[in-house]
Amino acid sequence: MKGFINRIIENSFIDGPGNRMAIFMQGCNMACLYCHNPETQRMCTRCGKCLEVCETGALSIEEGKIKYNKKKCIGCDRCLEGCLNFSSPKYFEIESDELVKLILDNEMFLDGITFSGGECTLQTDFIVDVVKKVKKNSSLTAFIDTNGFIKEEDLNKLISCVDGFMFDVKAVNDDIHRTLTGVSNEVIFKNLKILAKTELLYEVRYVLVEGYNDNIEEIKGLSELLKELNDYTRLVLIPFRPFGVKTHLKNMLPFNREKYDIIYEEIYKILKERVIKKD
Amino acid sequence: MNVFEIISNTNIDYKEKRHLLAQAAENTLTYVNLSVKTEKHLKKGILCDIFEGHAPYRPRYILPDYEKFIKNGSEYLGIEPPKDMYEAVNALMIIYQYVPSITGYPVYVGQLDYILQKFVDTVSEKEARNLIKMLLINIEKTLPDAFVHMNIGPKETKAGRMILEIERELKKAVPNISLKYSKEETSPDFAKFAAEVALEIGKPYFVNHQEIKDILGENYGVASCYNTLKIGGGSYTLVRLNLKKAAQEAKDYNDFIENILPNVVDSLCEVINARAKFIVEEAKFFETSFLAREGLIDINNFTSMAGIFGLYECIELLTGLKLGHDDEATKYGEEILEKIKKVIDEIEGYGCFGTGGKIGFHAQSGIDSDIDVTAGVRIKIGSEPSIYNQIKTEGRLHKYFNTGVSDIYIFDKTARQNIDGVIKIIDAAMKSGIKVFALNTSDSELIRITGYLVKRSDVEKYNRGEALREDTVKLGAESIKNNKTLDRRVREIE
Repeated sequence: MKGFINRIIENSFIDGPGNRMAIFMQGCNMACLYCHNPETQRMCTRCGKCLEVCETGALSIEEGKIKYNKKKCIGCDRCLEGCLNFSSPKYFEIESDELVKLILDNEMFLDGITFSGGECTLQTDFIVDVVKKVKKNSSLTAFIDTNGFIKEEDLNKLISCVDGFMFDVKAVNDDIHRTLTGVSNEVIFKNLKILAKTELLYEVRYVLVEGYNDNIEEIKGLSELLKELNDYTRLVLIPFRPFGVKTHLKNMLPFNREKYDIIYEEIYKILKERVIKKD
Repeated sequence: MNVFEIISNTNIDYKEKRHLLAQAAENTLTYVNLSVKTEKHLKKGILCDIFEGHAPYRPRYILPDYEKFIKNGSEYLGIEPPKDMYEAVNALMIIYQYVPSITGYPVYVGQLDYILQKFVDTVSEKEARNLIKMLLINIEKTLPDAFVHMNIGPKETKAGRMILEIERELKKAVPNISLKYSKEETSPDFAKFAAEVALEIGKPYFVNHQEIKDILGENYGVASCYNTLKIGGGSYTLVRLNLKKAAQEAKDYNDFIENILPNVVDSLCEVINARAKFIVEEAKFFETSFLAREGLIDINNFTSMAGIFGLYECIELLTGLKLGHDDEATKYGEEILEKIKKVIDEIEGYGCFGTGGKIGFHAQSGIDSDIDVTAGVRIKIGSEPSIYNQIKTEGRLHKYFNTGVSDIYIFDKTARQNIDGVIKIIDAAMKSGIKVFALNTSDSELIRITGYLVKRSDVEKYNRGEALREDTVKLGAESIKNNKTLDRRVREIE
């Protein structure tokens, strides 16, 4: 089975417990205003715009497909900026067996693997295939980094084979969620509740965006909900950073630190050690 | 520098001048006797004695048995066996002033956690902490040289933890610290704490205790950069072979293996043996040293070291392959090292009783004046592959060395938030055969040069022309310029 991958980071300390290989899948079902990796959102439409801006000849069209020559690429990322479709000429197709081999070759260095994106669960069957093969041959754990907008059928498949979810909640208020992401959060909260009742909801991530989702009462509400749902899921409060944002909110300032600390203190009262502070 | 240039140099202080003047005096003698062939190799720079001097009068590295000193005291120094922490710390501070080495400072200050642990309960916890702090500050101020090396571990002790806590607070380049690390003996908690400290201040090193214990026995120490030698012993000398330059002499790979290598390695051993013999027979070091008289060192624990460097360029020149990026390159690397080891082992090492009568094999980590040649068996700075491939490649090469080999792995600052992940990599490195694992973060104030640390701010001061206490800052500053030290690949986490 084949999967579409934007890139693989062999050594990541920030995508779950321990040292992990992070696999960023191509394609997303949201379009967040502050997306930090907009080039992972959509599949290539072969419009050829990226060819026009590439100065080193690393890109070409062969048989109607964009070909990317890694050796010629200098990493200037002009192709990503020039892409009108929130995609990338650099993502690639990989056979699950090939990915499994790369993972198992480095097994001794790893605690596990993490699928991220884009929205990795759009390629659930590929993930399940890889995870089953990896688990058959190693004791590595598999984590899913998701926006929570998952089809019921896919969620069930994943629950049956992975070890943890890192689950984004973009906003508690549905209108704000729609504004920030383009979709309703109804399914997301439904999935959050399902996962919270398993042992797999490793953490919930909440990016604080000034003027959008930083209403303290709403974040308190989310914290109360997590407290009620189970006794283990961590809540990671992440201050917005403009770094990497190329679209609507690219000119927004980093989230105010004083405000962040106040929110953290309030949430700490509810969740104690379960709330995680980020720089 | 000639004598006048040393005396009138405004970039170095009094102590360093005195050291250089002693060197100049030594070098008025002719070089120890060598064959014409070997002299030629030295002149060409294929061999390099790292400016040890013409007529060596003390071993390069000495690892006194400080435990024995603490147990017995010293007649020569007029010191009774210490009864409490005060006396122990005082005794150590005194003996350090009497330990010779190539740098003029002791390159090994002992297994301090185990030594001090015995006295920790003779005073209150606060006093113990203050005394350890005083000792560490004293070492830093009176032995201002980043080759001064302390060992801790493998077992966790109260004293060991205090040492790391205080070092973390002091943030000084001196002393260098090695943690003898073993999954069986080091508690996970202590290992994690040590990794946390290392990510902040570039030390301690993680030393593969199991591997080195298997080679040298339990009673070994890590001295100077990362030389692994027997306690109560040391190394007379370290002479190194520039594999890049040797490769330039060869017609092809086959010529290199069959003709050039045996010839230059034979010369390498000749220089080493001549120097060791001079120390023992002409300078009569063991007859004049109180360390030997009082059994704190024993010739039976000594050896010499044959160093090599520039394996990366050697392979590239002879085969066009890049170490770390091509499995074939690693195979060539193994073959080259195997050949060198074989030639070394065919020759008797003068006075090398500590390593079975053969000269020790060492991957030398480079000196400040090396340009366009990579340290030891490391992968060229800036060309490192993924950290996994780097470790897997180097692990296969580390197995040949019995007296020291290491590499430095630079992590992004996010590593500090995930120490479990860092430990996972260290454990995998130990399993892969990495003997000494140094870690650092890219934004650290302390920069690990080749096997020692310097402060970023001190390098800037040196570059402005200020005289500094630590002679290693000068070496570090030159090394950063010449060896692109700051371009080491950062293990970035996105």
